[in-house]
Amino acid sequence: MNGWHSGWRFLARRRAAVARLAGWSVVETAHTFAVGYAPARALDAGFLADRPAVGLLWLAVAALAVVVGAYGTGRTYGGVAALTEPLRDALVRRVVDRALRTPEGNGAALSRLTHQVEIARDTFAGLVMVSRSFVFTAVGALTGLFLLAPVLLLFVVPPLLLGLGLFVAALRPLARRQEAYLAADEALALSLGEVCEGLRDVTAAGAERAVAHDAGARVDEARRAATALARWTVARATALAVAGRLPMVPLLAATPWLLAHDVTPGALVGALTYLTQSLLPALHQLVHGLATSGSRLTVVLRRLTGTGSPSHRGKGAYGRRRPRTGGGRHRRPRKPAPPPTAAPAPPPTAAPAPSPLPAPPPAGHDTAQVAPAVAFHDVTFGYGLHAEPVVHGLDLVLPAGARLVVVGPSGVGKSTVAGLLAGVLVPWSGSVRVAGLPATAQGREARRVVVPQEAYVFSGTVGENLRYLCGDTPGDAAVLDAARTIGAGPLLKRLGGLAAPLDPARLSAGERQLIALTRAYLAPAPLAVLDEAACHLDPAAEARAERAFAARPGGTLVVVAHRTGSARRADRVLLMDGPRTALGTHDELMRRSALYRALMGDGGAGRRFLRPTRPPAICGLRRPGSAPRSCG
Amino acid sequence: MPRTPPEPAAPADSFTGGAPAAPRAADRLLLGALRHSAGRGLALALVAAASTGAALALPAVLGHTLDLLLGRHGTGAGPWVALCAGLVCLAAVFDAVDELLSATTTARSTAWLRHRALRHVLAAGPRLGDRFAPGDLVARLVGGTERAGAAPAGLAGTVAAVAGPVGGIVALGLVDPWLAAVFLAGAPLLVLLLRAFARASSDSLTAYQRLQGDIAGRLLEALGGARTIAAAGTAGRERARILAPLPALSRHGHRVWQVQGRSTAQAATLVPLLQIAVLAVGGLRLAQHHLTVGDLLAASRYAVLATGVGVLVGQLGTLVHSRTAARRLADVTTVPPVRYGTRTLPPDGPGTLELHGVTVTLDGRPVLCDVSLRVPGGTTLAVVGRSGSGKSLLAAVAGRLTDPDTGDVTLDGVPLRDLTHDALRRAVGHAFARPALLGGTIAGTLALGVDAPPPAALTAAARAARADDFVLRLPAGYATPCADAPLSGGERQRLGLARAFAHAGRLLVLDDATSSLDSVTEHHVRQALVRDVAARTRLIVAHRATTAAAADRVAWLEDGRVRAVGTHERLWRHHPGYRAVFAG
Repeated sequence: MNGWHSGWRFLARRRAAVARLAGWSVVETAHTFAVGYAPARALDAGFLADRPAVGLLWLAVAALAVVVGAYGTGRTYGGVAALTEPLRDALVRRVVDRALRTPEGNGAALSRLTHQVEIARDTFAGLVMVSRSFVFTAVGALTGLFLLAPVLLLFVVPPLLLGLGLFVAALRPLARRQEAYLAADEALALSLGEVCEGLRDVTAAGAERAVAHDAGARVDEARRAATALARWTVARATALAVAGRLPMVPLLAATPWLLAHDVTPGALVGALTYLTQSLLPALHQLVHGLATSGSRLTVVLRRLTGTGSPSHRGKGAYGRRRPRTGGGRHRRPRKPAPPPTAAPAPPPTAAPAPSPLPAPPPAGHDTAQVAPAVAFHDVTFGYGLHAEPVVHGLDLVLPAGARLVVVGPSGVGKSTVAGLLAGVLVPWSGSVRVAGLPATAQGREARRVVVPQEAYVFSGTVGENLRYLCGDTPGDAAVLDAARTIGAGPLLKRLGGLAAPLDPARLSAGERQLIALTRAYLAPAPLAVLDEAACHLDPAAEARAERAFAARPGGTLVVVAHRTGSARRADRVLLMDGPRTALGTHDELMRRSALYRALMGDGGAGRRFLRPTRPPAICGLRRPGSAPRSCG
Repeated sequence: MPRTPPEPAAPADSFTGGAPAAPRAADRLLLGALRHSAGRGLALALVAAASTGAALALPAVLGHTLDLLLGRHGTGAGPWVALCAGLVCLAAVFDAVDELLSATTTARSTAWLRHRALRHVLAAGPRLGDRFAPGDLVARLVGGTERAGAAPAGLAGTVAAVAGPVGGIVALGLVDPWLAAVFLAGAPLLVLLLRAFARASSDSLTAYQRLQGDIAGRLLEALGGARTIAAAGTAGRERARILAPLPALSRHGHRVWQVQGRSTAQAATLVPLLQIAVLAVGGLRLAQHHLTVGDLLAASRYAVLATGVGVLVGQLGTLVHSRTAARRLADVTTVPPVRYGTRTLPPDGPGTLELHGVTVTLDGRPVLCDVSLRVPGGTTLAVVGRSGSGKSLLAAVAGRLTDPDTGDVTLDGVPLRDLTHDALRRAVGHAFARPALLGGTIAGTLALGVDAPPPAALTAAARAARADDFVLRLPAGYATPCADAPLSGGERQRLGLARAFAHAGRLLVLDDATSSLDSVTEHHVRQALVRDVAARTRLIVAHRATTAAAADRVAWLEDGRVRAVGTHERLWRHHPGYRAVFAG
């Protein structure tokens, strides 16, 4: 019922719009006057009184009232718009905010933005229209009846109230069936979506029968829900009949009595007309619109405002993983820090809130310039509350100008290191410092630039995309120069220069990465973190881009890499192997680490084959009990 | 209810693939739905007709009753009042039954169409995916079937919708020919008059939908760059960028409502003005004593019924929508279902795969050209080539996910086309780079196949694919719903591998199925493949040199042709072009 409260609040905040709507609705009731009262007077005072001219005059007045009322009807749409459009704006804003805050699949956000927001808009408008129309038509018709002969109300109001009562009683079960129907429809769409996206897999597995059975069950459920809803429509129709049609019968039965009590024939005709032509249609709309729109709106609003969305639960509770499953991990509950390990008390970095002042650099140094470009001190980090740490007690110091490559088996958490460096992840314990300041500290954007695997390119000009992180300071020449250095020169030429519009859909994954790399190259931050940022480039292009970053004056480079070439080019390699890490040069690690040799085996395969019969010794990664022969 | 702007097509829906619509197939489909609900449809038509009849009879009876009541002593009015009461109740009952039957008939036809479409989609298989985007298919299967399923009820309703206005005009004529004449003359005149005020109104709606698409596009871009935005701290800027078109959207939204208000106002003028015109003439006739008060009451009501042409237009619109939706469904059926043969494989065959002169053309361009290969039972063939050289298509042909245009594929001497569905799918397993995880839970997705293997076999397969340990770490282990398990690309791949391992009897086709695994895991999987998997013959599309090196032989594809076949060592030594495939 919270929805109703916020609905009322929404309306209360727009009192002016509501008042305008009400005003035009009053004008609209002129129509009701025209339908019943004027013809009644035309009969009584004109045609039945042998004064046809007076009758025609009354009808002319009625025609005028029709036009005035229709004008009012037209204007009420403006009033509805004044309520509906702000609602839509607010919903769009909320959807965008939520999508930016907790990415959970593009499909969901897009469906919310285009489909569900529109449903909310339409159903809300429908609700406002229908209930408003009913209220004003009813008031208009009852006023007309009262003016014709107050006694007429006696025959109309009780059945009307009875029917409305019936409808209100049926409303809740009806709304529940309607919700069940919508839910079944959605479950069906979800199930069929899975099937249509997985047709290749279904055929390959030969599972057509099983899948037809499962999805078919959803089809039948949808049908059952629709049928259950249909049964309740009978209650709706009954309410309508009682409120709208029934009054006619007592009215007719009482006619002799009414005529005897000074009710004119015209008034009787007017009353009957009010019943069939004003009240019945308005009731019909109300009864059909309220149950359907009401529950649709409730369902859609609940989904849009995101209470109880299934995608919110559970994420990140499954252990250490997810380097690339989206930004959701950035806002996981931080694990209460384990007891500090008798460290030389680095300033706690727990506070994600911007620290007002740069914390003092480690003892012995007094300015940021002498601080190392990157310093991990005894850093432990993991995702989720019950997860094992991904990084455990990591110590790492990089002087300015260093070039580090992070390698390791997939899923080991290489991107976690990038996230810690970027300050978007907060360590459980220990400290991460960039240029002497905590990685999470305010202004971190000026100290490091991060390029993730999925390059961000947006619709805009090429120049806007490239200057995304550096503003307008570098001139066009400098930007073009940077692009050439990275290797994006030909791409820029093809796109038509900096002023040319950029259509992200027309760029290949590699081209997008070139744009993102150029953008990062232009960023003033001294530390560059490339997280698989060139994986879609060919090896030569990747090498060129990395060289460019390494050659940035005073620039420090951290590369998270899948390919082996990056490791050969680096002056330091951080090998991640579960929570353990090893640091060294390429040659050292080749000598020291079997895992490293295995990882590097990829590129050297032309020379040294890794036959299945001669596996590399990788006991460190072996799970107990599996593949005993591989550990010879 | 206001007519609201039609919901804009989701990006996926805008895909307009498919052959020119097959109207006849669409009508056949609708006829089928009609036949399926024939009894209900007939009942519905009868009820609708009866309801219209009651609605048409009521004004005349009411008018006569009123006249009797207004008469000197109201003599003989009693039975007529009872008749009125009966007609009122009857109309209400008919309406309720009509509504109930309409909804249940639509539900029934919709379910029938959905089952049918689902069966066809599954029978046509992945070839459908070449023509229709998944979102588009779902839209046709969910929304399209519902619209097409409304046809039987719509057809029955049309009977009533025609009978209403026609009966209204006839009844007007019976009351007094002048009234019908006024109505028939006035209606077109008024329509023309109002038309003059109408203006083109679709511009705002188009602009509205375009702006909405613009916002959606911007949001989609930003979501793609979520990590960049988080790292750069530019979420605020992005929000502003995405929402920049919102004021214009709001402006056009207001315009749409205004335009709608105008057209509604016009409609709200037409009917009452006609009614007043009829009343004016009727009043004059009343003054001349040609008509009674009851006649006038009836005439006023008949004038309203006669303007029910709008309802008819709406009904016809529903039918047109149904037919369009049926056509879009019929489009899907233009992709024929896969035909399977009747043969089974010889027992205990080694799983020898042979391709003879296989050629596949897509859009007139040959993608595989005269490919002949032989993979002896129990051996591994790696397929290597640059992207676009036809590797994945070769893998699809080898497991009959698609049929070659010319040439033959045989397994143990039996052409794949001749095999029964079950024989083929039991023998051949596929694993892909991006497997779809259907089946509800992790266990369900592993069990997906012709037969569901016992749980022990599933865990063994998962262990072989090195998926066991991470699955056990999920909150409900193997019972975890796939939708609730946040899986990395490598983990999905391992589940896909496990599924193929658990089912394949003779031949395993791995299409880039280990690309997201690191070298160490891939190595373990390769070992398990040799040791623990039933299918002895393997065709592996590979990008890594280690994978190629581990295979018995390598087929090197270039532009859809087999450039060379041999061991990795030999090809590496003698062909610089081959080495270039792995450059990196």
